Amino acid sequence: MEQWLVVSIIIAAYLLLTLTIGLAAGRRSSDSVTGYVAADRSFGLLVMYFVTGASVFSAFAFLGGPGWAYSRGAASFYILAYGALGMAPFYWMGPRAASLGRRHGYVTQAQLVKGRFPSKSLSSLIALVSLVAFVPYITLQMRGAGIVIEAVTDGHVPLWLGAAVAYGIVVVYVLFAGAMAVGWTNTFQGIFMVVIAWALGLYLPFRLYGGIRPMFERIAAERPELLTLPGLTATGEPWSWGAFSTFIIVSAVGLMMWPHLFMKAFTAKDDDTLRRTVILFPTFQLFLIPIFLIGFSGVLFTGEPQAPDFILPFMILETGLPAIVVGLFCAGALSASMSTGDALLHASASVLVQDGVTQYVDLDDRAQRKLMRGIVVLTAGIAYYFALDPDSSLVALLASAYGIISQLAPPVVSAMYWKRATTSGAITGLLAGIATALFFYTNPELKPFDMHEGVLGLIVHVPTLIAVSLLTPRQDLDHLKRFFS
Amino acid sequence: MSLKTARVLTVVYLALMTIFVTWPGLLPFARIEPFILGLPFSMAWIAGWVAGSVVVLYLLDRVERRHRSEGPPELDPARVRDR
Repeated sequence: MEQWLVVSIIIAAYLLLTLTIGLAAGRRSSDSVTGYVAADRSFGLLVMYFVTGASVFSAFAFLGGPGWAYSRGAASFYILAYGALGMAPFYWMGPRAASLGRRHGYVTQAQLVKGRFPSKSLSSLIALVSLVAFVPYITLQMRGAGIVIEAVTDGHVPLWLGAAVAYGIVVVYVLFAGAMAVGWTNTFQGIFMVVIAWALGLYLPFRLYGGIRPMFERIAAERPELLTLPGLTATGEPWSWGAFSTFIIVSAVGLMMWPHLFMKAFTAKDDDTLRRTVILFPTFQLFLIPIFLIGFSGVLFTGEPQAPDFILPFMILETGLPAIVVGLFCAGALSASMSTGDALLHASASVLVQDGVTQYVDLDDRAQRKLMRGIVVLTAGIAYYFALDPDSSLVALLASAYGIISQLAPPVVSAMYWKRATTSGAITGLLAGIATALFFYTNPELKPFDMHEGVLGLIVHVPTLIAVSLLTPRQDLDHLKRFFS
Repeated sequence: MSLKTARVLTVVYLALMTIFVTWPGLLPFARIEPFILGLPFSMAWIAGWVAGSVVVLYLLDRVERRHRSEGPPELDPARVRDR
């Protein structure tokens, strides 16, 4: 049988299995908004661990990670550094958010912020910010899935078809089963992804160079600039320390502010589960090591992929691996893409309905669930439209998405921890932070020390929030008591 | 160890990690050799801080859990008697 056929059969089997798990899991969920959005707050440690890990590790990590290591070398180490830093504060913040959620019935982070700072415009602004950041992120996942399938089937399954089939399945299980399906499919996909990454990450250096150390020794001898921090830019110039450092900081601050991750605080069964997920999370982070090894193994390899992001499928195909391995790899990459894509689609619908629509229109539980399902299809459609555009500069958009999403940190943190913060302070701070980030995103030549626009935004955001809060009258004591009690 | 000490030490670890994986704390360790487990030194350095954070958070959790199962200190009869 031809290789691409074998590969296609493995992919089809994998997709079918994912669909089955997703639909089976959904039958365990109650037919309510809490059931759909927060899986009836029922996730245990195993599911929470993989939900969090697999939602963070997207097509960006699985394809972009090796791509960065291959083309930008040590610059990629920033991805390794920020996860643990960003996740650790959640050891305290997560249970706190969860307890507020249980008491007041919150299922999204904007509801939490609005509970403390009662303002329709603030919560709509947060919903809008989340959505603006979500669409390019989902698009990237779809494109990633399409690219992988097209590459390993020799173009027999084109990008548009591959992306449509993979995401058709995601939409089906997200529609019918909500958070429960996202949780259980991510567990399956997460295990799959980790195994594939370690297997390939160790196999390739040994097969091509006789080991990990010999590989790095040869790279150090022939391309030392690649292994020298802070690495290279996309065009091969040395990267700046300012950019390397602030990329770590903005990603650490932004990481848990992604609604699809923050909302996991509301899905955990109890606080201990949440805390243990935080403790174990950095072990998932170490799975970037084999990912980088895959990218580095391509550095001295003859031949070049059409773009750095293709290095993984390229290495797989060029090193003559058996079809079954290629198929399994492909399923691993699809896991990475789909496990993030499903969480994103699910969160975008939850956020738009909970924090946008229901503030202006009164909807009962049933109508809300119906509307959320409609929005899942709509968002998937919009993202799919962009995914087919070969010229879309989405990677650039994603980088700025982190700049925008990190601006949610000051209002969320002050809502939970700073009693003197006021609604006007939160709104002005958020607006100032977003405006600053957008300004430097559109005028990159003005950035001081080449710092990430998100960090520059935070530098303006935090003092504004503090100053305006202190200048406006403190919040009503009864309100504070009701919120914190 | 008291809860407060454990929390302070955890925050100190995270602060040090932030300093040592970004500029300027990373500068002295931004080199290729010696190789650690086959990895370039800078990569192993960062990975080491990540692995260390698992240990630190685990130890913090042990203290926090003991504290939670005992209840807040003012309700602890032994301590009330001490006063």
